[in-house]
Amino acid sequence: MTRILVRLNGIVVSEPIVSEVILENKVLVAILAAHINSKGGEIVLEVLEDDVDKIVSAFRQKGATVTVPKLIEVDTNRCFSCGSCVALCPVEAINVAEDLSIEFNKEKCIGSACNICVDACPFRAINSIRQL
Amino acid sequence: MSNHDQKTRTIEEINQKIIKGDAQVLTAEEMKKLVESSGVEVAFKEVDVVTTGTFGAMCSSGAVINLGHSDPPIKIQRAWLNDVEVCHPGAAADLFIGATNACEKKPFEYGGGHIIQELVSGNEVELRATAYGTDCYPRTALNTNITKDDLNQFFLLNFRNCYQRYNCAINCSDETIYTYMSKLLPRMRNATFSGAGEISPLMNDPNYETIGFGTKIFLGGGQGYIIGEGTQHSPKNFNGTLMVKGDAKKMSPEFLQGAAFTRYGTSLYVGLGIPIPILNEGLVRKTAIRDTEIFTDVIDYSVMRRDRTKLKQVSYAELKSGSITVNDKRVRVSSLSSLKMAKKVAQTLKNWISENQFTLTAPIERLPLDTVFKPMRQTHEISFVSTVMQSAVTCMENEEIRAIAERIVTKSVNHIVVINGDGKLLGIVTSWDITRAMAEGKKALVDIETRKVITANPDEPLESASKRMAHHNISALPVIDSERKVLGIVTSEDVSKLLGR
Repeated sequence: MTRILVRLNGIVVSEPIVSEVILENKVLVAILAAHINSKGGEIVLEVLEDDVDKIVSAFRQKGATVTVPKLIEVDTNRCFSCGSCVALCPVEAINVAEDLSIEFNKEKCIGSACNICVDACPFRAINSIRQL
Repeated sequence: MSNHDQKTRTIEEINQKIIKGDAQVLTAEEMKKLVESSGVEVAFKEVDVVTTGTFGAMCSSGAVINLGHSDPPIKIQRAWLNDVEVCHPGAAADLFIGATNACEKKPFEYGGGHIIQELVSGNEVELRATAYGTDCYPRTALNTNITKDDLNQFFLLNFRNCYQRYNCAINCSDETIYTYMSKLLPRMRNATFSGAGEISPLMNDPNYETIGFGTKIFLGGGQGYIIGEGTQHSPKNFNGTLMVKGDAKKMSPEFLQGAAFTRYGTSLYVGLGIPIPILNEGLVRKTAIRDTEIFTDVIDYSVMRRDRTKLKQVSYAELKSGSITVNDKRVRVSSLSSLKMAKKVAQTLKNWISENQFTLTAPIERLPLDTVFKPMRQTHEISFVSTVMQSAVTCMENEEIRAIAERIVTKSVNHIVVINGDGKLLGIVTSWDITRAMAEGKKALVDIETRKVITANPDEPLESASKRMAHHNISALPVIDSERKVLGIVTSEDVSKLLGR
């Protein structure tokens, strides 16, 4: 599975383009997170490896911006393994390892569409990477 | 008496062994395993010292520094270090850096805790000071850069550290709240706790048999001393605290970390460890305590009052498992203090003692065992939502807009609260919504009512309800109970009337 970040501007946001892409291309898509209002929004989708190219070009044709998001970055020098972030994560991408270190699972993280953990780190060790 | 029959040993005997390199030192974690596998008697024979540790946010931490005299000299009135205002507690050139003092430019990101960390790390910080000027201290302004090497004294001086245990925090409200227990998501979507549980210093000697005035401890990666009980020390209900002091010039930034809690402020994470001499079998049993035997309350931090709702009791074993069950719901819980670093504190202290770099001290006086933490005496009352709320004018969801418009006129109100048959909150309609419905030709209430209603609790201070109205740019809040039953309504008019009284 690959995660893609779809950005919608104020013009395309009123169109049902996710449904259109699914129906026209007959693909499976899981919506992991979506933040949308009348001015635009972002949707994080999980799609099958083989469908990535097809789906990305379909969204782009409909006027959306699509990127494969780099998600959060953890500065391991600043992390003191307190664990404040662990229980906040809605997708359980942050876990306590056997040696009590904090482990970030980049595969699971939904990144800038969520960002819940970023401002909860007392040492400001977590940074969210926004895509252009 | 041969060593095998001995039922007690003294700190002096243990120190002799430490000096010879013969002392048997275990971390609290190792001790528990030994007692479980071999029993109390064997553990007493084999172990001389047990090391404990904790590493968490300790907001009542600070540092006293002495700057030496400038030329011409200044009697500092106000002072800032890297734009963090610090206190001037005594004579001309002493300053106290409180961990929660915030930077004027970035109040929630940088503060006293960070300044202490910078100084301990050997970094230069900028000092600014002002004064009114006297005949003996003529100077009125000062600007210079300092490092810890420039200071005459640099003491870590913490008046409430090392909580024996702490609350587990949760948020039952509909909005995210930001607290000193970190970010708490709405509707109990997470919980936080603090403290190292079974390896926490005061949990391993709860009667203060060996921990007292003058006990030498691990503090911030250096050595320190217990100089008394901490403020709010409440040992009877297992909420003991310590006041500690140590030479910060010899401490390490690994064990002293400035911290920032969004929308709360700054603090200092402190690594603190206490060696417990195993003087008798009673202390073996005490240091064998497990997380399953240490309990704390799950507290609803959305209650904006001194007495917050206790939802249940949980053990540190449950807390450390990563999830607890509250009101039949599984809630993920995470630690704010670092258990990994707490273990490192206990391990480092063990190494020091084993390598004869640290000997033990007997307390010169015991800490009080009976003090309690009293609430504040308040001579001026404040207002709560319940004192100004009025009964709400309500309607049902199937009523016609016309009927609601009439009610607005006859009752002369601006807000109608939409309820169901049980009196529970469904939505709210304002006179503006009705006007718009008329203009747009809408007939059904469901098309115009607001369903995501911002509410108030009868027990909350009026000030917080008033702030919420301003924040959301609205003029009334339905007041509801924990089951969402409508109790009344509080409006911005009511608030203004009270202020104008």
